[in-house]
Amino acid sequence: MKPNCRRICDLLTQYADGTLPDAQQGEVQRHLDACPPCRVIAGKECGARQLLRASADRLRAEPLPPGLRTRCQALAAGQSTAYPWLRPSIRFAIAALLILFVGALLSIVTRQSDALLAAQLTADHVKCFGLFRPAEGTSLDAAQAQRMLAERFGLDVHVPPSSTEGSVDLLNARRCLYADGRIPHLMYEANGQDMSLFVLEGESRAPAEFTAFGHHTRIWSRGGNTFVLITPKADESVAAAARYVAAEAH
Amino acid sequence: MFGRSSSAPSNAEDFSAEALQFLEPLFATAMRLTRNRADAEDLVQDTFVKAFRHSGQFKRGTNLRAWLYTILHNTWRNRRRDASRDAVEVDSEQVEQAAAGAGGGEPVDTPERILMRSTLDADLQAALDELPDAFRQAVWLRDVEEFTYAEIAEMLSVPMGTVMSRISRGRRMLFEKLSSAPDAPVLPVAADAAGSRR
Repeated sequence: MKPNCRRICDLLTQYADGTLPDAQQGEVQRHLDACPPCRVIAGKECGARQLLRASADRLRAEPLPPGLRTRCQALAAGQSTAYPWLRPSIRFAIAALLILFVGALLSIVTRQSDALLAAQLTADHVKCFGLFRPAEGTSLDAAQAQRMLAERFGLDVHVPPSSTEGSVDLLNARRCLYADGRIPHLMYEANGQDMSLFVLEGESRAPAEFTAFGHHTRIWSRGGNTFVLITPKADESVAAAARYVAAEAH
Repeated sequence: MFGRSSSAPSNAEDFSAEALQFLEPLFATAMRLTRNRADAEDLVQDTFVKAFRHSGQFKRGTNLRAWLYTILHNTWRNRRRDASRDAVEVDSEQVEQAAAGAGGGEPVDTPERILMRSTLDADLQAALDELPDAFRQAVWLRDVEEFTYAEIAEMLSVPMGTVMSRISRGRRMLFEKLSSAPDAPVLPVAADAAGSRR
């Protein structure tokens, strides 16, 4: 390539963008008129730019994953109070992180402990409802949640859908950190109370119940998977919902 | 279009509302960075967590959209660095090698007349995704998002001259990929967008 061609080629990006001063724009144009090899290079650069500009709006219109907007709005709502560190979601998150930290230490000692499992997942339950509660009146289709579990985890789990039995509404499906990996977390509202169902793939445990950190945890296994259901209290208001989910999840 | 705000929103709620306007294009950009919906979703969510947490650091009178894209790219770079320090180094080396080799390819028989034909978006997206990361980012930010060279330099944390050469190489490679695709008579063989100025 001749020195002059090299110099012109360095200007082609700005030439294609129309950001060169007029004098230089004219100089490049005159060179291209006289120099076929440079004209080819300019053609590629201008062609790609024109095509991308013409397609920009469509390229930018990527459909959003379900729930992303809601979660980002929730993050925004959480940040708009005057004293951010006082916000309940942050207090929950700090408490949850502390519990998780202690839990992680203990899990090295005894990974199989049910009480520890209950404590860790209670922390996740509190954190996720604090930070990722969907807008009022939003609910999630069980089939959609099931697809998400299959795509992201390769899990074949039946997700209990919303039901009038026990006034259960499926709100959201997330991934939460547990032990060495991420596990699915299904968030429900049961008779006005927050309820979480976690699934541990390929683990079997004896049925157990715990009350820890003001929450009630039920653990059971079916079909080679372990299910953990967390409700704020063990009282009658959520008993029907808990029975429904326990019967449906498999 | 997406408002290029040149002034800072007045309070936290305005800030959030204005930032959330850019959710879709940020997600599309995250998709081109990660090429994976789940990772793009996590990346965008992290970006908003950081943006809201550090909203106090946003300077009045600067461009909110550019600020959000800078956070998005910084977050992505940090993740990549955390994931594999070595891979990042190798990648940037490959980029420079590719840059040195690209663009000087064989002359193409350029028709006199330019025919701007629409290519299928899927082909275009696939061709973009095949570009080396650094070129794809630069071309996307310039030609799809229309940021200035200086803004892109800040986002990608590279000098402005590097931005321009990456845009240039990226565009040429993209053009060559599209025009060499087996069933793709797609391209505006635009020997001159240029030509219109004659």
